[in-house]
Amino acid sequence: MNMKISATQEAETHLLEAAKEFQKCMQCGKCRSVCPVFKEMGNELYVARGKNKLAEKLVSGELEITQRVEDAINECLNCKTCSANCPAGVSPEHVVLRLRWYITTKKGLHFFKALIFRQLLWRKWPITLGCAIVGIAQKLLFGIGPKNPVRHLFPLFGFSKRRNFPQLAIRSAQSQLPEINRSKAGQAKMRIGYFTGCAGNLIYTNTAKSVVDILTGFGYEVVIPKKQKCNGTPVLANGDYEGAKRLMEHNFELFRKYDLDAIVVSCSSCGMSLKKEIKVFIDDSPELSEFTGKVYDINEFIEQNIDIKPEHLGELDYKVTYHDPCHMVRGQGVRDQPRDLLKMIPGVDFTEMKNADTCCGSAGSYCITHYDTSIKINNHKIEDIQDAGVDMVATGCPTCVMHIADNLAQHESKEDVRFVVEILADSLRAAKTI
Amino acid sequence: MEKSVVDELVAIFGKEHVLTANEDMIAYSYDAAHAEIKPEAVVFATTTEQVSQLMKLAYRENIPVTPRGQGSGLSGGSIPLQQGIVLAMDRMTRVIEFDPSNRLITVEAGITTSDIDPIVAEANLFYPPDPGSVAFSTIGGNIAENAGGLRGLKYGVTKDYVQMMKVVLPQGDIVTLGSKCVKHVAGFNTEAIFVGSEGLLGIMTEVTLSLLPIPQHRESALAIFDSLDNAAQTVSDIIAAGVTPSTMEFMDNETINAIQNFKDCGLPRDAQAVLLIETDGEENSAKAEMAKIDEVVRSNNATEFSIAKTTEDRDKLFAGRRVALNALASVKPNLILEDATVMRSKLPEMVRGIIDIAERHQVKVGIFGHAGDGNLHPTFLLDMKDEDEKARTDEAVKELFQLAIDLDGTISGEHGIGLEKKPFLMNQIGGAGIKLLQDIKMTLDPKNLLNPGKMFDMPQQV
Ligand SMILES: Cc1cc2nc3c(=O)[nH]c(=O)nc-3n(C[C@H](O)[C@H](O)[C@H](O)COP(=O)(O)OP(=O)(O)OC[C@H]3O[C@@H](n4cnc5c(N)ncnc54)[C@H](O)[C@@H]3O)c2cc1C
Repeated sequence: MNMKISATQEAETHLLEAAKEFQKCMQCGKCRSVCPVFKEMGNELYVARGKNKLAEKLVSGELEITQRVEDAINECLNCKTCSANCPAGVSPEHVVLRLRWYITTKKGLHFFKALIFRQLLWRKWPITLGCAIVGIAQKLLFGIGPKNPVRHLFPLFGFSKRRNFPQLAIRSAQSQLPEINRSKAGQAKMRIGYFTGCAGNLIYTNTAKSVVDILTGFGYEVVIPKKQKCNGTPVLANGDYEGAKRLMEHNFELFRKYDLDAIVVSCSSCGMSLKKEIKVFIDDSPELSEFTGKVYDINEFIEQNIDIKPEHLGELDYKVTYHDPCHMVRGQGVRDQPRDLLKMIPGVDFTEMKNADTCCGSAGSYCITHYDTSIKINNHKIEDIQDAGVDMVATGCPTCVMHIADNLAQHESKEDVRFVVEILADSLRAAKTI
Repeated sequence: MEKSVVDELVAIFGKEHVLTANEDMIAYSYDAAHAEIKPEAVVFATTTEQVSQLMKLAYRENIPVTPRGQGSGLSGGSIPLQQGIVLAMDRMTRVIEFDPSNRLITVEAGITTSDIDPIVAEANLFYPPDPGSVAFSTIGGNIAENAGGLRGLKYGVTKDYVQMMKVVLPQGDIVTLGSKCVKHVAGFNTEAIFVGSEGLLGIMTEVTLSLLPIPQHRESALAIFDSLDNAAQTVSDIIAAGVTPSTMEFMDNETINAIQNFKDCGLPRDAQAVLLIETDGEENSAKAEMAKIDEVVRSNNATEFSIAKTTEDRDKLFAGRRVALNALASVKPNLILEDATVMRSKLPEMVRGIIDIAERHQVKVGIFGHAGDGNLHPTFLLDMKDEDEKARTDEAVKELFQLAIDLDGTISGEHGIGLEKKPFLMNQIGGAGIKLLQDIKMTLDPKNLLNPGKMFDMPQQV
């Protein structure tokens, strides 16, 4: 479909797609018992069946797009807890996304969002440079303590004053690591593309290095296409269908050029998007199926393909629990693999925390735009972490890491928050396997 | 709604507990039934006193008030038929007192039913009524609808566990009815009138519920039949053998096939009926009861009978039943879930009658439900946008109600009358029955302001 269709037609398409979902809703109210946002807000406008109802009224023309409609539609974490529990098989998050796209198509994209999604993320270098500058500032300030006056500047950028940020990378992972990383264990078993995600590239560079070290150490060649861009998750979540589509098409074409046997991802949302969401943006074709079929979450890939033996692993004295990122557990069905990897490591004392798979409230940019609610949701997570009596929380999603670490710091709680692959790499390094 | 009234509501409930925006009114215009009417304001109560002040205001200003729990009702009970104010009770969720020695718990009426068990389990107690909606309905809503559940045969329904309650009457008076004592005959058995009152007579704000010790052991089994009669005969024979299963769930061929299409749960597609049976109690007695069931099932030519040995086994046996509603929901865009109930001895006639009605009107129906207590859920599957199909289904539903009445049964076993079954109540209880309900309503709510127009009309409305 290369034909240009009019904006009105496109808006209509989004509504029709939303209708396919909300028409299945039986209005039973079960979503009330699982929705993290509803639990904090206590108003049915914000629960899945309420959003389905709003969508129905928009379609029937009984309701116009009002500020309150937009507010309601923006109160969604895309955590998929409602769809995982819905007796009628509705995916309310798809209704929400379609409505966000519908509203943007009708009303246009806010210039600030257009600047970020269509210029900065697309060009990429301004973001990389910006992160480096902030990263240097962070180093000079020796971190930003709770009383640091710099906090008064945060609201200028849309952030809460209370918020604690991770150290941003002065040198991005993509500039530290070569494009082609050869196998360190003989002939390469496979050629693997690595989609670092923005966070792996610009914040959690140790995660990116861990991924590369583990894979090359066990005999895989890892290719990190330097031209990869954002996968589009924050863009599509913020209503910009067109911007997300452009990014998805770019990455799809780019990775296909490298003749890869598999594509691994260390960020839960990127993984879900490259496996599934991409199908909403790019027309179905054998090439697309081949592409999506090759994408693996890193935990999933290691579990399935690498035969890690006890002698490969060094002892670590960690007491760990695991938090399920929504886009891994419900988005990709990855639940056991990261736990199995952790439990395999000698010395690791693993405790399953309560409600491990409930959303931590970060939800990408939701925790920027709706900080107070996202912290309220996260407070339950902190309680469960503290109850588990561990000194480390392992997970597989950068925004979960960021949000949980931020709120743990606000609670003066000492647990470290890390990616499972980092912990695994620690153990493999301790045994000099990699 | 007039600004002065809204201001007064804000003064009573606080700003964050009053909604008036159009979008919010849409959010509170419906429940799990099919009607839809927007209120003019929604208020969230947090104390009994607030509810009392609201009713005084409503009586002074002549504003209809409709109580609402979590809006999971299947008969439209919480829909504000005459607009006015929706009184949401779901922020009154405190546990007031847990009294293990008297096996009682006192809670605010807005508490979610499934929040009770984790609290009382610490003293090895449980609250038996377990509607399918335990996790998304309130105790107040359960009492207002006299909700039942899977364990009705052995453990009864909500009315069997309501001990005492605090109620705000329509004109604002606060009364406490019933007692914490096991025996209590001081005055009329007034608390019983509020059980099943569908929010027409008063607003429950606090309730004391009785609890039972958690059975030590549970046995679960699945029996498959190639004939409906054999399944029905099994149900009667089990009871005749002196066994009282805690659960005896039934599913028909249409439901079995919907389940298998939805997800392979290992049910044979040609089976005409399956029964899921559980016994519980002291370990030996639960096992002895199951052994008797085993005999009865075999003598009725079940094609298969399996007793679960482990929890995983049990989960496997129940997998089909758990997804039954989901599976039926996926067959067609919409469904109408009914709860017509007969005595268990009439079950085969009822099932055959329903299938016959569906065939005559060419509509699709899946039947599952609680065989032990005769409470079936004939679930009509349709596309409401198809007007012809909708009309045929409505006709079939009407006949279903008449069938239940003709078999000495009831048009509603647990979902209540509300709006959905209001036209059929007369056939069930007759003119004198309706008049008694009207008189009781008139005594308590002379202006007919509390949930008006539900269950029956008042004389001047007709
Ligand atoms: C999927 C599904 C499964 C279900 N399974 C069962 C089942 O197995 N058994 C069963 O019995 N029902 C079942 N139901 C029906 C429903 O859940 C029950 O009727 C439940 O008791 C309603 O509770 P609620 O809090 O949602 O009340 P609502 O639906 O909000 O209200 C129901 C009625 O109660 C009144 N009311 C609510 N709170 C109060 C109060 N505090 N004081 C006075 N009146 C009040 C309202 O005015 C209304 O008339 C099911 C529903 C669904 C959607």
